Amino acid sequence: MTFDLEFALSIVPTILSGLGTTLWIAVAACLGSAILGFIWEALRRSNRGLGYAMRFVIDFIRATPLLVQLYFLYFVLPHYGLTLPAIVVGVLGLSVYYSGYLAEVFKAGIDGIPTGQFEAAKAVGLTRLDAVLFVILPQMLRNIAAPMGNYFVSALKATPYLAVISVPEMFGLAMEVGSDTFRYAEPVIAVGIIFLVLAVSIAQLVRLLEARLMASAQR
Amino acid sequence: MDFTSILGGIFEGLRVTGIVTLYGMLYAVPFALVFGVLQYFTRGTVQWMVTAVIEFWRSSPVLVLLFLLYYALPSFGVNLSSVTVGSMALGLNIGGYGSQSVRAALQALDRGQVEAGKALGLTRLDVLSLIELPQAFVAMTPTFINQFIQLVKGTALVSLISLTDMTFRAKEIAQLEYNPVGIYTALLFAYFIICYPATIIGRRIENWLSAGQRGNRDF
Repeated sequence: MTFDLEFALSIVPTILSGLGTTLWIAVAACLGSAILGFIWEALRRSNRGLGYAMRFVIDFIRATPLLVQLYFLYFVLPHYGLTLPAIVVGVLGLSVYYSGYLAEVFKAGIDGIPTGQFEAAKAVGLTRLDAVLFVILPQMLRNIAAPMGNYFVSALKATPYLAVISVPEMFGLAMEVGSDTFRYAEPVIAVGIIFLVLAVSIAQLVRLLEARLMASAQR
Repeated sequence: MDFTSILGGIFEGLRVTGIVTLYGMLYAVPFALVFGVLQYFTRGTVQWMVTAVIEFWRSSPVLVLLFLLYYALPSFGVNLSSVTVGSMALGLNIGGYGSQSVRAALQALDRGQVEAGKALGLTRLDVLSLIELPQAFVAMTPTFINQFIQLVKGTALVSLISLTDMTFRAKEIAQLEYNPVGIYTALLFAYFIICYPATIIGRRIENWLSAGQRGNRDF
């Protein structure tokens, strides 16, 4: 069996029909993991007992493979009567997996802010919530923009994992072409090139945004 | 089957998980070293080519890389065993990330180190191997341990190319009896037991290193 370029090109539209799903999953997973990660980190800082518990949860999430977490959610949730569409399980799985990493990013972001900022906010009479929202968060966002961007690209590159729970994103569609035609080389190469172009260009975009953010911070 | 016998069944796959991790390291470490140093040393077109190779392994989704080697290579007449394919795809992917830590660690060194080495009459290669790399290694140890954990977790993917690792064993057990909660919880813990000690060691070294750096700054 040799590589058939014509066949490879003919299946590109089929694969690209999953581009929307792939991007949608990546964006949803990024938002989901940011929200979950922020909650983990907020709870870790709240009090000592909960802090230790959350540290364990975060470490546990980070010490187990994404594939296994996906299987866990996919097979265990229905056992408790919670049957969700595969794509929702997928987004949930990615969100949980990256929330462990984002919690660490938030931790570093908050730790990077000088204590004087908290004290100053207190001194001018801001409530704790106001201090966090208007003083700490804006500065934290600048600290975490770069790592968050990197994790967004990682989430994008992790979307093919969802093919194992039969979510029709690009990689899943390519594998489907493979099992229909018994030719796997062309679909895999085609989807590989598409993902590579996508990942590299989005990484460049993230770097550009990062540079602009840094420039605006210096003004 | 109770929890311990499930865990025992899963650990029958530990040998394959270990072998793929070990071989993966044999690809990852040399790749990271050679390409990290090359990217640091070279300029212009050569550097561009080195970067392209790194980006291919680093920016492609690892699942795509795995299937690329598994399905596409045979159609070009290259037949490799599943273990080789698995460890190569995972290892070179991690090696791509590793090369960036090597380069970053080299770039972060004080320029005075190289200049001092040259002033002592060392060749550029001696400066690299005797002065720059030893310092860079120390600085990148925590990152390196994190990437090792990523590799261990990544090996779960070889279950998809029918290697009988821990994840594959869990799926086999799941076919014998209906107990998703027990089986997938045990699988999560199986990976946690392996990866968590590495996390702890990494954190220790990181604290130890940053304490050392503080000392330097005081001095």
